[in-house]
Amino acid sequence: MYAIAIHGGAGAVPRATLSAEREQRCRRGLEAALDGGYAVLERGGSSLDAVATAVRILEDDAVFNAGRGAALTREGAAELDAAIMDGRQLRAGAVASVRHVRNPVELARRVMEKSRHVLLVGAGAEEFALEEKFTLVPNLYFRTAERLEQLEFAQRGERVSDLVPPAPQGTVGAVARDAGGNLAAATSTGGLTNKRPGRVGDSPIIGAGTYAKNGVCAVSATGHGEYFIRAVAAHHVCTAVEYRGLTLQQAVHELLHGILRALGGDGGLIAVDRDGQVVMEFSTEGMFRGARDSRGRREVAIY
Amino acid sequence: MSRPKLPALPCLLLLVAAATRIYPAAADARPIVIVIHGGAGVIEPARMTPAKEASYRAGLAAALDAGYTVLERGGTSLDAVTAAVRTMEDDPQFNAGRGAVLNDQGDAELDAAIMDGNGPHSGAVASVLHVKNPIELARLVMEKSRYVLLVGEGAEEFALEQGVALVPRSYFRTEAREREFEETRHAEWAPRNASTGAGRGVQPNSMDTVGAVALDRAGNLSAATSTGGLSTNKHRGRVGDTPLIGAGTYADNQSCAVSGTGQGEYFIRGVVAYDVCALVQYRHLELAQAVREVIHEKLRRAGGEGGVIALDPAGNLAMDFNSVGMFRGARDSRGRREIAMYRDNAKP
Repeated sequence: MYAIAIHGGAGAVPRATLSAEREQRCRRGLEAALDGGYAVLERGGSSLDAVATAVRILEDDAVFNAGRGAALTREGAAELDAAIMDGRQLRAGAVASVRHVRNPVELARRVMEKSRHVLLVGAGAEEFALEEKFTLVPNLYFRTAERLEQLEFAQRGERVSDLVPPAPQGTVGAVARDAGGNLAAATSTGGLTNKRPGRVGDSPIIGAGTYAKNGVCAVSATGHGEYFIRAVAAHHVCTAVEYRGLTLQQAVHELLHGILRALGGDGGLIAVDRDGQVVMEFSTEGMFRGARDSRGRREVAIY
Repeated sequence: MSRPKLPALPCLLLLVAAATRIYPAAADARPIVIVIHGGAGVIEPARMTPAKEASYRAGLAAALDAGYTVLERGGTSLDAVTAAVRTMEDDPQFNAGRGAVLNDQGDAELDAAIMDGNGPHSGAVASVLHVKNPIELARLVMEKSRYVLLVGEGAEEFALEQGVALVPRSYFRTEAREREFEETRHAEWAPRNASTGAGRGVQPNSMDTVGAVALDRAGNLSAATSTGGLSTNKHRGRVGDTPLIGAGTYADNQSCAVSGTGQGEYFIRGVVAYDVCALVQYRHLELAQAVREVIHEKLRRAGGEGGVIALDPAGNLAMDFNSVGMFRGARDSRGRREIAMYRDNAKP
């Protein structure tokens, strides 16, 4: 039994404003990432490779808020965060506030595998990227006309979703269980449109936006990051399963509709448990998501 | 090991403390408590001189009393932990604020976080180079921004917008840290890969951090932590557990308040501070039991060293570590006042 689930962000995606053409683009992007990650599992690859592959595909797709096409800071730059976690030995790596790394999830993985650290930020993270022979790209690589337009609307204080084809808010991520029972999670994001430079959300924070522990679950979150940090969201789901014996579905439901709602935050998350059961839930209007497993499930959905 | 003679003031306080124990205050239904730490990467007992020990104890006592005074005057736990941590940031003996360890570029790169258990609300900064008291900036992030974590130049830009004066990098450098930097830079040591647990060898003094947890008269818990991070040779941009809510710092009135110190990478991977509170809230463990399980079972099993201070809404506290020692102190309205460094050497 193996399974993968992905998300491309949660948020206000009013049906009326999502054009058929754009919806098609989002669905195609999700399918490509889902199948890319699934192919790794099918070949007997690890859940870690599967989530890294799926997230890299989403990062390269300009329609999603991660890697190319990331949301822009108030100064018009892309500032990227990512994390990856291997549930086997609770190994983890993360980067935050990087501006010139094409695939932040790959740098996060390199932090996990080649450094003594878990989290590197800013210029220090890019220095590490160079030491690891990554080729840096100009910040302009990430910027798309759509994101610039979104930033301009946000700065004029107008409601973004009324005027611009809505892009997924938030984040991209993946969780997987491989045939060996190993769990992994990865998350990558450009963060909030018009954010203050230096702002870091939940994505690169182990336990908040990303967590994986073999025998329990793997989680990747998307939504209003500040609330997910305070709720220690991803780890909360895992402790609810591990300490209280809740099902993954119950744990996710309690987090999103109980704890986060009480704090005033919304969003969504995807999770997979040790048996390969996938949960994809959100408290927003929609969440771009997909799941595929070796029992024949294959679905992509938005609402 | 020889001990310094007890100075007059602590002796007096000891008497006061003893007296309070005999005649507990009637109003003790609502205790006030503060607990602090000054790091778990402490000097080996064999290398500790009486003069050094006295100096560390004085530094810890100053921070403990600064925080307790706030609580005694009816102040909030948030103000108390801020005051205690700020005192240690300003004291060059501790690895936070002035006197923080230097990274591989020779700069002090500072992280801090604060969490208000009533809400809960939180604020944090990481990788700042020019902020005299990172804990105060973390608090401004919590109170004056829409965000929880700001890093690097963006955090310093926010500091300037909030009217916080920046200081030159040289402010943080002390002679002792510069010497350490030079020594460690040339020393051979086998790096332990803490993000994976592979490899062997541990860097000396890699676990100094300062922190505080407090409970105020209104029953609110708070936690604060501040650090210069790993000692010399930390990669520029490395962020440890301190500014990560749930890893090195956590507070929730429903469960407990925790501040950690140790090998940060292990604390991140285990979400240590939150895990203690989750065990209290969801497994209904006593606070001390929860801390023991996390520090002596889980963290040790993962290969990580360090300790935490923790406090619950009833005023029960725990200070536990799996390292050689942990600089620590506790004071409460039931008359407890102690400062300790190694196992079983608590003194008032």
